[in-house]
Amino acid sequence: MDRKCLLVIGAGVLIRLVLFTAFPSLPTILAQRVEISTPVTSYKRLQEGIYLYTHGVSPYDGGVFHQAPLLLSLFSILPPSTIVTNLLYVLADIFSAISLVQIASSGVPTVTPHHVSPRKANSWPPWAIAAAFLFNPFTIATCIARPTIVFTNTIILHAIAAAVNGRRGPAFVSIAMATYLSLYPILLLPPLLFLTYDSLKPISKPSIQAFSAISVIMLSVVLMVYFKLSHLITGSWEFIASTYGVHLLLPDLTPNVGLWWYFFIEMFDSFRAFFLCLFQLHLLIYVPSVCLRLRKQPLFALITLIGICSIFKSYPAIGDTGLYLSLLMLYNHTFPLMRYTFFLAAAILYATFLGPAFYYLWVYAGSGNANFFYAITLVWSIFNALIVADAIYAVLRDEHETERPELIGKDVVQI
Amino acid sequence: MALRVPVNLRKNLSVVLYAFQGLSIVAVIVGLASLLLLPLDEYSRRTYISENALLPGQVHAYFGGSEQNIVRAFRREVDLLGNSTSDVVAERMAEIFRSAGLKVAKQRYSYKAAGGEYTGENVYAVLHAPRGDATEAIVLCAPWRNIDHLLNEGGVALTLALSRYFKRWSLWSKDIIFLISSDARAGPQAWVDAYHDLHGENIQSLSVKSGAIQGVVVVDYPGAYHRFESLHIIYDGINGQLPNLDLINTAVQISRDQMGLRTDLQEMWNHNDGYRHRLKTMLRGMVNQALGHSTGPHSSFIPYHIDAITLATHGDGWHDEGSLGRTVESVFRSLNNLLEHFHQSFFFYLLMAPKRFVSIGTYLPSAMLLAVGLTLTAIRLWVDPRSRSVGGDGGEVAKAEKTSEKEDLKSGKEGSGKVEVVAVDSGPKRELFLPMSIVIGVHFCGAIPFAVFNLVDYKSMASVFYVFIAGSVILPTLISVLITLTAAPHRLLPAFHLSRCFSLLFLGMFLSTLATLNFSLSFLIGLFSLPLTFARTTPKSIPLALVNSILLQLTSPFAALFAVAGYWGLGVEDILKEASFGWWVWGMWTPVIVWCVWWPAWVVGRISVDSSLVMAVMGKSG
Repeated sequence: MDRKCLLVIGAGVLIRLVLFTAFPSLPTILAQRVEISTPVTSYKRLQEGIYLYTHGVSPYDGGVFHQAPLLLSLFSILPPSTIVTNLLYVLADIFSAISLVQIASSGVPTVTPHHVSPRKANSWPPWAIAAAFLFNPFTIATCIARPTIVFTNTIILHAIAAAVNGRRGPAFVSIAMATYLSLYPILLLPPLLFLTYDSLKPISKPSIQAFSAISVIMLSVVLMVYFKLSHLITGSWEFIASTYGVHLLLPDLTPNVGLWWYFFIEMFDSFRAFFLCLFQLHLLIYVPSVCLRLRKQPLFALITLIGICSIFKSYPAIGDTGLYLSLLMLYNHTFPLMRYTFFLAAAILYATFLGPAFYYLWVYAGSGNANFFYAITLVWSIFNALIVADAIYAVLRDEHETERPELIGKDVVQI
Repeated sequence: MALRVPVNLRKNLSVVLYAFQGLSIVAVIVGLASLLLLPLDEYSRRTYISENALLPGQVHAYFGGSEQNIVRAFRREVDLLGNSTSDVVAERMAEIFRSAGLKVAKQRYSYKAAGGEYTGENVYAVLHAPRGDATEAIVLCAPWRNIDHLLNEGGVALTLALSRYFKRWSLWSKDIIFLISSDARAGPQAWVDAYHDLHGENIQSLSVKSGAIQGVVVVDYPGAYHRFESLHIIYDGINGQLPNLDLINTAVQISRDQMGLRTDLQEMWNHNDGYRHRLKTMLRGMVNQALGHSTGPHSSFIPYHIDAITLATHGDGWHDEGSLGRTVESVFRSLNNLLEHFHQSFFFYLLMAPKRFVSIGTYLPSAMLLAVGLTLTAIRLWVDPRSRSVGGDGGEVAKAEKTSEKEDLKSGKEGSGKVEVVAVDSGPKRELFLPMSIVIGVHFCGAIPFAVFNLVDYKSMASVFYVFIAGSVILPTLISVLITLTAAPHRLLPAFHLSRCFSLLFLGMFLSTLATLNFSLSFLIGLFSLPLTFARTTPKSIPLALVNSILLQLTSPFAALFAVAGYWGLGVEDILKEASFGWWVWGMWTPVIVWCVWWPAWVVGRISVDSSLVMAVMGKSG
């Protein structure tokens, strides 16, 4: 943490505080955007849950609230003032930025035990990575709208920061927390295992099997503790079905930037179960392949899985994409190898502007329909997927050039 | 990838560059040409009623006979109240409505904009549907003074007479609201805002309400003389939104086929249905849509997804209030038939004659092609090698990297004794920071004129505007001087090149988004922005730079503002006042688009043109 990092973090905090105070209606407006708040993260629904909880009713009655019980206890012990809540969210973003600085200064993005990037010297300094996260419009909008995904992102980043420094305790406790909050981070477990294992000191290194077994057991124990705590808080096991069940079974078809809602609106009920399994398994199949192919750079495997989740999970939001894009900046040194940077950036910008316009035409002006918005979420997802693919291409090319220096600068033909 | 491109395309850039340049020119030409083709019979369509439930003109209209005497009596009543204050008028109108047995309420409102205050009092009456459940309503509205500030004698008298007349029928299935707004611009906005509980603090809430409004017909029938020649149908809403085409078709079909009344659109009084008249009607419609202002009391309803039109009388002919009354009655019978909200026909269309239109599928490509032309130019500028700065610190071309210290950690694939040297060819790079900050900074500056023109008083509007013109003529030159002085010479050209690239990319993106919301505004801005695609930094050729500079000056937002002012024969300050009024009262977005999208793009264009002069003067030609 040098002066530049502190400066960047200070500026990031300032922007958020200014936005919170100068435009008091902005959080409410943004919190209503379907691109930012999903049924499983929305701040409005969280308030509903807190209200029910503090009045002695089960927060999951009524089917509006789908978030983890520990969030309820966190927000119910906080003083009920907007300023404190806003500060909590700003604080979460500060922690995220600090974790990113730690990840960047560990050097893991360029140097792993199995791979040293020849473009090591071109990587960005930690403060630039923090700036890319803190000044990313997606991250800022997400922080201002206050969905609980902000906390999940912070915890994931903390887990990665702990992993790259070989601190496996904090890493697995954090990933357990992230899983507890929003289920899908469990998919990040295998690359996180590799990442932590690679970062352990060579002296005290157990075998990978023993290490994985211990870590998985630790994760399960911590998760059990969280579940038991939740059980104590809410007094029943209802929360499992109302939180993870919602992630898995998609009962709420509110539009979002993902691909699921429209598909499952259109689906005949008899096929629903089949396609639910298919969509969930689809997410799962990436995990082994990505981990194996990118075994030399487990951090990149992890980032890629975050990117894939941000496209294909059941309730994605731009907060997920913001996390992926910020983490991708760690691999800035491979960007010259990417083939479509400008094109992809332009397409993402287009989708960012056309999305709200089409949503407006559909919901407010009434002159469009659901297909308008779905078309733009398709475009959004396709170009996010292309970014993921192009980044993988660049990193693999970088690896390849380490092994075969004579091929540098040669064209590659894909057949 | 399915598409196999020749491998060396990446190397052989000139092919790509020429292809993109050609494509963007073709896109612009095709875009413009396709707009001019629209009025032809092959590209436009005859209008048709899409919603079968409307059944326009299928019922006999009975308004007439002795009802006309009642209209004339009310006309006298209105005439007597002509110069009274709005509360006296509202009280008298309320009395008349009450005597007809209707539920009456009044609403005061007051708006502040451009240093002026706009106050008045609306009065309205609700006729509860004998066969309905008060979940749906239709509105008959007559402004006390119409949009030209003329006393709307006939319109108000007709509304009063129709309220008595409609009360006698038992067939209504929707509530009917009779609204007399005290003016044509602020009054309806205050009323419709309050109807949906979205009104500001100086506007009274409505004490009586009915169901969701399905349709609105405004009657504009000014003057003491009661004969007229034709019916002018006005349909443009705020921000270029339009009512459903079925409503216009219904009104046209009823007045032409059932009542024998000629209908006009867009003040085209002698429409011969030829190419030129169709084109002119379409272009007038586009100008109104692009400006996004209110063209009558109906405009305020349209943003609430309420389909509304104004029926205004025009000229001196043989039709009287009986014909107009029967037309309104028949339109209301059709609206009464609606089973659900208007949804069948088109919401995006351009009308070119009362019975001829083009729908969005046909016309959208032309605006999109202009935006695509800008985007293609941006992509071409990006791939152009001139966007990379050569020389200077680009010398770290071959970086040797010894990996021997990590050898012991490797899995032993390579021979452990061998020292691996990897060279990385980074090549000349694009410097993104300076151009990005120019473009983003200028876009943020757009908030300044927007804020200033919305806050300034009407009296000082003109002087502030001229100061602002002078400022924005000098600003780009100043910025380019500043950059030329501070940046290293070899970075200058790429920086201006890339700032143009980003600015065109943003403009293309904004315009294609805008094309889906307000086609005409997007098309007109795209048209004015065409010089931005070729006006570039030319330090080697001063005459070209001067020509470009003049061209940019002629297509600036100010030039457009003067053109609009000239089109209506008003002063620039009146247009700015209208814009400010529009922002505060109607929620009109046109000023935002002009100052925060178009103006910044123009400033960046000027920066890159001016920099050629500045660089030539300073001898830093890159």
